[in-house]
Amino acid sequence: MFRIDQYAYTSRLRHVHPGEKFAFAILTMFICLAASTVLVPLLVTCLAAAAVIMVARVPARFYFRLLFLPLGFLVAGLLAVTLTISRGANPAVYGLVIGGVTLGVTGPALNQAALIFTKSLGAVSCLYFLSLTTPMVEIISILHRLRVPALLVEMMGLIYRFIFVIMETAGMMYVSQGSRCGYAGIRTSFRSMAQLVANLFARSYHRSRALYTALLARGYTGEIRMWEEPRPVSAKHLVLIALVDLTLLVLVLVTWRWPV
Amino acid sequence: MKENILEARDVHFTYSDGTTALRGATMAIERGKKIAVLGSNGAGKTTIFLHFNGILRPGRGQVLFNGRPVRYDHRSLMELRRNVGIVFQDPDMQLFSASVVQEIAFGPLNLGLSREEVLRRVEAAMEATEITGLKDKPTHLLSYGQKKRVCLAGVLAMEPQVLICDEPTAGLDPLHAGQVMELFDRINRQGATVVLATHDVDLAYSWADYVYVMSCGTVVGEGLPGEVFGNEQLLRQSDLSRPWLVEVFEQLSRKGWLPEGLPLPRTKEQLFNYLQEVKGNKVPGKPAAVYLFPRG
Repeated sequence: MFRIDQYAYTSRLRHVHPGEKFAFAILTMFICLAASTVLVPLLVTCLAAAAVIMVARVPARFYFRLLFLPLGFLVAGLLAVTLTISRGANPAVYGLVIGGVTLGVTGPALNQAALIFTKSLGAVSCLYFLSLTTPMVEIISILHRLRVPALLVEMMGLIYRFIFVIMETAGMMYVSQGSRCGYAGIRTSFRSMAQLVANLFARSYHRSRALYTALLARGYTGEIRMWEEPRPVSAKHLVLIALVDLTLLVLVLVTWRWPV
Repeated sequence: MKENILEARDVHFTYSDGTTALRGATMAIERGKKIAVLGSNGAGKTTIFLHFNGILRPGRGQVLFNGRPVRYDHRSLMELRRNVGIVFQDPDMQLFSASVVQEIAFGPLNLGLSREEVLRRVEAAMEATEITGLKDKPTHLLSYGQKKRVCLAGVLAMEPQVLICDEPTAGLDPLHAGQVMELFDRINRQGATVVLATHDVDLAYSWADYVYVMSCGTVVGEGLPGEVFGNEQLLRQSDLSRPWLVEVFEQLSRKGWLPEGLPLPRTKEQLFNYLQEVKGNKVPGKPAAVYLFPRG
């Protein structure tokens, strides 16, 4: 997660208007999800990979490792969709017969699984594109501009900031415990970890109080006003996004009645 | 005429957990001065600062701003906080945003200023604290010193009349500590009153126009730096050490190496000048042998 954050701040697309990246990622994701065949989702996956690796210059190895992350969930979910268990022999099912029970797959289920798989991969790729090229701060400011309720936007901002503060605190506590043999054995490890978590909770509470005081001192009245930096929108990028997404949309419509 | 911009009169305060932090503290901050507040941990420095900004309300006693008692309705508080800025000790307690610009713009935006004005102030504050280059960095990738400067910029951007800093040099390397102190001098020359809390007696001695010493929730001593740091009993009673300049000067005077009646030197340059003058007046004798290692 921290590496994603690092790439977001260092990628080649860092200084492209965040709204353009956001629009591209979200539009493409919806087109991908609307597709009824595997062609467009596969295209989207490749497109996002190309954009991330070749344009944003995120190392390919790292990107593919990221893509493998959701695979576990995906496979578990797909098994439930594809596997058919029926009593007795079933001509539609290809598979094993064990003790009068047929365990196998059917053609339509396999097609459906392939579709779900590619669509998920395509959608995840779009989100990876966004998170690897756009810092969280900018995504939050886009959400604010899109009139997402202030409460949610402020919470996102604070949570994002405090992930790092709390991780750092926890890291320091862990090192300090370790240096006093806190993780020497199973029993001590459990005890140390329990203390760390309890302490972290108390510390976070204390921090939130201190932060509130500091905000009050600067005239906080219950709302964090967002500062929006004026940034020029590139017409070239907008045309490119429109072209790509229109092409994908046309492809979705053309392949609408294809079997897979 | 002496004019006090901030004043605490016999302020008592007890936190909700039962800790009594102030027991009748009285302090007057003169407009345009550089003021150091000294005291060991738990002496009540931060608590009295939070009273100056209207965050805490005295249990007993009174806080005055510009000679008028502070009122605690919304409008008066906003007015007070616009004019009295506090920079807290731990930057991680103050930084709420991952974006440096967002962090600095927070205060000015709360003042309801125009976009152009906010932008001007943010840029000026970043320039003053030399963090313009950190504009696009997230706050969690900054070093401790950089975070401290972002916090300072966030308060400077509100352009307060009084700038209160809690331990501004704690945790900074000598170079950056020096830069921060120079910045305070600059802000002070532009007309702001600067109040620092510190443990660093050397720094307070050389920098401040006026010094307060706090201990156990009250102000136990105050005066010009020379007076306060010449008072050995006061320092001992409030767990403070003496500035090295004062100690060295006293030793030199006691041994007769400096003529009597010289005023306490405020800076090391001043002390060196004294020594230079003494050397100039004397007929140079045979230099004494100095051995770096014991002989024999």
